[in-house]
Amino acid sequence: MSDHLTVDVVDTDVAFREALDESSQETRAGFLQKALVAGGVIAAGGVVLGGLPKLVTAAPSPSQDIQILNFALLLEYLEAEFYAEALRNGALSGETRSFAQVTGAHEQAHVAFLRKALGSRARSKPTFDFKDTTRDQAKFQATAVLLEDTGVAAYNGQAQNLTKKTLAAAATIVSVEGRHAAWIRDIIAQNPAPNAFDPLKTRAQIEAAVGQTGFIKAS
Amino acid sequence: MRKRLGGSIAALALLALLGFAIFAYGREPATATAFALPAVPFVEAPPTDTDGSKAAGDGEPFVLSNSNGVSRWATVAEPVQVRAEPDAEAQVVARLKTVTPEGTTNAVLALQRVSRGGKLWVQVRLPILPNNTLGWVPRSSLGGYNVVTTHLVIDTKRLSATLYRRGRAVFRSPVGIGQRRWPTPTGRFYIRNKLTKYKNAFYGPLAFGTSARTAVLTDWPAGGFIGIHGTNAPNLIPGRVSHGCVRLRNPDILRLATLMSVGTPITIR
Amino acid sequence: MTEFTLEELDQDGAIQEAMDGVGGDSRAGFLKKTAVVGGGLVGGGALLGLLAEPAMAATKRDVAIANFALTLEYLEAEFYTEAVRMGALSGKTLNFARVVGAHERAHVAALRKMLGRAAVAKPRFNFRGTTEDEAAFQRTAITLEDTGVAAYKGQAPRIDTIAVLNAAIAIHTVEARHASWIRHIAGVSPAPAAFDQPKSMSQILAAVQGTRFLAAAPRVTTRKAPAFAG
Repeated sequence: MSDHLTVDVVDTDVAFREALDESSQETRAGFLQKALVAGGVIAAGGVVLGGLPKLVTAAPSPSQDIQILNFALLLEYLEAEFYAEALRNGALSGETRSFAQVTGAHEQAHVAFLRKALGSRARSKPTFDFKDTTRDQAKFQATAVLLEDTGVAAYNGQAQNLTKKTLAAAATIVSVEGRHAAWIRDIIAQNPAPNAFDPLKTRAQIEAAVGQTGFIKAS
Repeated sequence: MRKRLGGSIAALALLALLGFAIFAYGREPATATAFALPAVPFVEAPPTDTDGSKAAGDGEPFVLSNSNGVSRWATVAEPVQVRAEPDAEAQVVARLKTVTPEGTTNAVLALQRVSRGGKLWVQVRLPILPNNTLGWVPRSSLGGYNVVTTHLVIDTKRLSATLYRRGRAVFRSPVGIGQRRWPTPTGRFYIRNKLTKYKNAFYGPLAFGTSARTAVLTDWPAGGFIGIHGTNAPNLIPGRVSHGCVRLRNPDILRLATLMSVGTPITIR
Repeated sequence: MTEFTLEELDQDGAIQEAMDGVGGDSRAGFLKKTAVVGGGLVGGGALLGLLAEPAMAATKRDVAIANFALTLEYLEAEFYTEAVRMGALSGKTLNFARVVGAHERAHVAALRKMLGRAAVAKPRFNFRGTTEDEAAFQRTAITLEDTGVAAYKGQAPRIDTIAVLNAAIAIHTVEARHASWIRHIAGVSPAPAAFDQPKSMSQILAAVQGTRFLAAAPRVTTRKAPAFAG
């Protein structure tokens, strides 16, 4: 990579993945926990400090785009399967069901798009266990809010790491996730837009949030 | 360097394409998870006492100006017939032009708004005789609303001018008003324009045009509008000295001009 | 790597136009420069409103983009602020206008603070009754929010300064939430498509022009001598 910065660079995203491949017993959350304690994470994914230049792990590059898009693909797989399963289980009614149908179709379109763009580099679809969140409408609704909000924060956090062309494409997706989030929030009478500025989250934070759900059984 | 866009899309597009050499932006401490833009508090809209909490149904008027706290004025965006009622068939009370005799954009005080048959009408205070005439115009004939929080009161018995902002007095001065044979009209009016940098000491350093007109000097050129202006005879103030205009001593009118904007409602009593 | 084909997304050429003039990833080079300088900023105090060294300054284009965004935010903020005060909204629509108006005012404040003296002044607006009728308000809000989403989306790939980019990114999805919310209130589909399309700056400016909301500043002052009754 040509544009290394002068700070010590560790490509934590790749390191994370390689380590996980090696330590399949560990959950992602557990691995992350250790990494943080050991202080081995150098600005993982880039914690964005207001106004301070981002301590990037690497400048945008096509190879980094692939990693990030595979990260996005994981989230899209998760959302698509979540909605599909809830519908299959017949757990939803009324507008929540309409929401799941429309949104689920969108997530499947996102999956298809990312798989096509990544081609042979596309990651495989994980196995999920959604527990009773796809069997109970109230739990479904709360989970949908979490997943959509998380998707927004995930894409937004990676925007600065993407090459511009990939950012343009990702931008066409993330606003739709924002629409989804507002829609399901309004359905359950939560504030559709809780912040004036949507938070940007690092990859580590997203991985932790997703890990906490326990939805990903096997990668 | 600030640029006023003045409503021109061409200017807007040009601006978008031009750059500025350097800009600065704040550098704020980090927050844990969120991207920290410059910390901005929740910006609540400044309160006004015409905030509505329920929708005005068809026919129910909504007050746009109440003089005590908040008033609104609008430009006359197109020549329009003013009607006695919010009805296209009602009697025509006046015709408004888009420009004043002084060449400024014509403006009216917007008093209340009503919806009739899905169309919005606005009741406006008119710069015509008889003084204190009101009428209705379609909302579409007006420009955007401008909010003012000031109110000028001229007391013809005490010979004083008081400017209120949100009901609090922020300016007071003695005034000269019309002689008894050319009285300053009483009632409700508004500031229509501001005249500056002319060279005529009789009117002092600056003058405000109002919507009020002399009722007695009916052949005065340019409509016989009552102005509020400075003077080259300050020793006549306070007093009943003019043809109807309200005169202030020059330091007072200069001070008033820093506090009072066009559109301010006036009460003369 | 399998390069993206944007053609399938770039229905009206907006993405391509947004990419025009973007030679490679200039952000990378810019980052390198800022990182070297930025080492000295860590632990330093906030540098509010000071002219930074050129290496930390935003590009001219980023300033223009930020001012473009600020103009749109002025428009939205004024629209919602006036609508709340005009007494024509009630219930969910009034609540929407209050909450969203606060967001847009916050966007204005943040962009003005970022731009400092380079910020454009607020234009004059005439909302032509759309703040005084609930149905007209809803239609207009849908248009403004959808337009805002498309505007930020179109500009994001053109931004080189990380701070400006992140501001645009953080606002972009909030506008999408707004759009979805008011669509939901109005009874139309909150998320009409799987992918939202970007619009170029000229397309957005044309849309803004089409609203006829931008008004000329009234000329209320003149140097003409008074001709008053005296």
